[in-house]
Amino acid sequence: MSRWWAASGSVAIVLLAGLPFFLNGYQIQVLTFGYFWVMLGISWNILAGYTGQFSLAQHAFATLGSYSSAAAVLALGLPPTVGIVVGALVAALLGYGLGWVTLSMRGIYFAIATWAFAESVRILIAVNPRITRGDMGLPVPFLFDTPDPFPYYYVFFAASMLTLLLNGWLLRTRVGYRMRAIRDDQELAVASGVDVVKWKRLVFMLSTALAGLAGGLYGHTVGLLSPNQAQFSQMAFVIIAVVLGGFRTLWGPVIGGLLAQGLSEALRISQEWRLVIFALLVIVVVRVYPPGIMGGLYVLAERFRRARTPRSTPSPPAVSESLP
Amino acid sequence: MDLQILAQLSAVGLMMGALYSLMAIGITFIASVMKLINWSMGEFYMIGSYVQYYLIILILGPERWYLALPVAMFTVFLLGLVLQRGLLAPMFKYDEARRFEYATIITIALSVLLQNLAIILAGPYQWSPREYLPTATFAGLSLNGSRLAGAIGAAVILALFYGFIKHTMVGLSFLGAAQNRLGAQTAGIQLARVDMIAFGIGVGLAAAAGALLAPVFLVYPTNGVISTVKGFEIIVIGGLGSLPGAVAAAFGLALVESFGAFYISPAYQDLYGFAFLIAFLILRPQGLFGERERRV
Repeated sequence: MSRWWAASGSVAIVLLAGLPFFLNGYQIQVLTFGYFWVMLGISWNILAGYTGQFSLAQHAFATLGSYSSAAAVLALGLPPTVGIVVGALVAALLGYGLGWVTLSMRGIYFAIATWAFAESVRILIAVNPRITRGDMGLPVPFLFDTPDPFPYYYVFFAASMLTLLLNGWLLRTRVGYRMRAIRDDQELAVASGVDVVKWKRLVFMLSTALAGLAGGLYGHTVGLLSPNQAQFSQMAFVIIAVVLGGFRTLWGPVIGGLLAQGLSEALRISQEWRLVIFALLVIVVVRVYPPGIMGGLYVLAERFRRARTPRSTPSPPAVSESLP
Repeated sequence: MDLQILAQLSAVGLMMGALYSLMAIGITFIASVMKLINWSMGEFYMIGSYVQYYLIILILGPERWYLALPVAMFTVFLLGLVLQRGLLAPMFKYDEARRFEYATIITIALSVLLQNLAIILAGPYQWSPREYLPTATFAGLSLNGSRLAGAIGAAVILALFYGFIKHTMVGLSFLGAAQNRLGAQTAGIQLARVDMIAFGIGVGLAAAAGALLAPVFLVYPTNGVISTVKGFEIIVIGGLGSLPGAVAAAFGLALVESFGAFYISPAYQDLYGFAFLIAFLILRPQGLFGERERRV
């Protein structure tokens, strides 16, 4: 069974790797930004989906990553590649700090605290124009000297797939089981010997580091930073993408991020109509079928597999619980 | 002279405090009854301001703005009932943690939906009805007429709300559900109905704030953001679910902002609330008057 999934996952990765050869330059660029949402979505899913820490600051950590990278490149004269690493490290450090502060908060309070942190980041960037150029936007050097979209696509693609593999590997390790134990019942996890304090903070740090990495890549791909990256609507889009694709599933953020970005382009309608449609879809998904697209695919695959081997048919487990 | 400035800043702070109370009371009321945070609160504020604006422009005329206010509130109240029944009531089939996630995702999606629908339907323009009252001068203080009218309106609405909660059977059933849902249910209170009406009233109060502040903060698709932001800051400072805490925190925050904008810097005005919010979350998560959450 897991071999079957690994095979289809590999096929999907190969297809995505070959995709640019069938698209024009503009479409490749659009898809490249889809991977930004994929990376943010995976990092958020690790935190909210698998550890039960419903953070609303993922976009702010991406913004911190891109501005820190810009600072390293513009002020210290480091190359963008090093800057991106610096950005991820700064995001991880701040994430560790925020994780430390919010350690004892749960549910509503945790969500509000992370939200307040994100809004503070946005305002601090906007009100210090002498350092950040505020709302005028901060021009940063590009990652490559060429306007060719191919290298950007493959950098984002590789970073996303590494993030995905990291997530998949994590879920198989003891850490992954600890994360889910904390999510499902924190008291029980403590009683079973999980060092909740330590693992919550470390997962928060890992997740914010990934967000910072995504933000750094994004900055050096767009070439212009703005405090609007830390607007709450960005976080809302991450949630929309992940929930559409499948909250609490490994591939959900990948499907959701690329689909949200790809559909936007294919539909050729205004930004507002797109968001209206996505928001409606999310409401329908959460209301009617919470496992999302990935959950649906899982059920279909199970049915297909059982149709082929009719003898071994144990009753299927509940979808949302049995997903990888 | 200096005293004059102090009095002026206090007056501005007190007027905004009444309006901030209105923004926060709705959020904390819904939170206390349904145990959820409504992230789309600002969008109900926005709808309230649009209903108010169009009623004034198309039907009532600028002098009778106070007649538009109850209509705006009632429209949003009805909308709230429908959305609660259709989208939020199903959350109670999940356990506590999933219920919170469900409500958060649904209300965030709802906020995106309503904001963008407003841009499509009304356009990305900023509108403003005429000032509700002319600028008043009182003991040497000059008070913005719309803010003064808004503060008086907010005080009246809050007094009515308080009377309704404390002195009617329906109001007391909200308090009961807020204290202990299971206990309230045992006493024969229909939680489904209580939740629905509480949500309607909560978003109706947000709509009242939107309608009253239409000439001050203007009418445009994303004008509700400020209401959500101030409301969340206030309910955390005051203590989640505490009505007196929300009012005290609203006045406190408004005064701090008014004085801070003058003595420190207006650029940082939006940061004071966040600084207080984060400080309270860390040092005193139960807020000014809230009770500490108990866990088994």
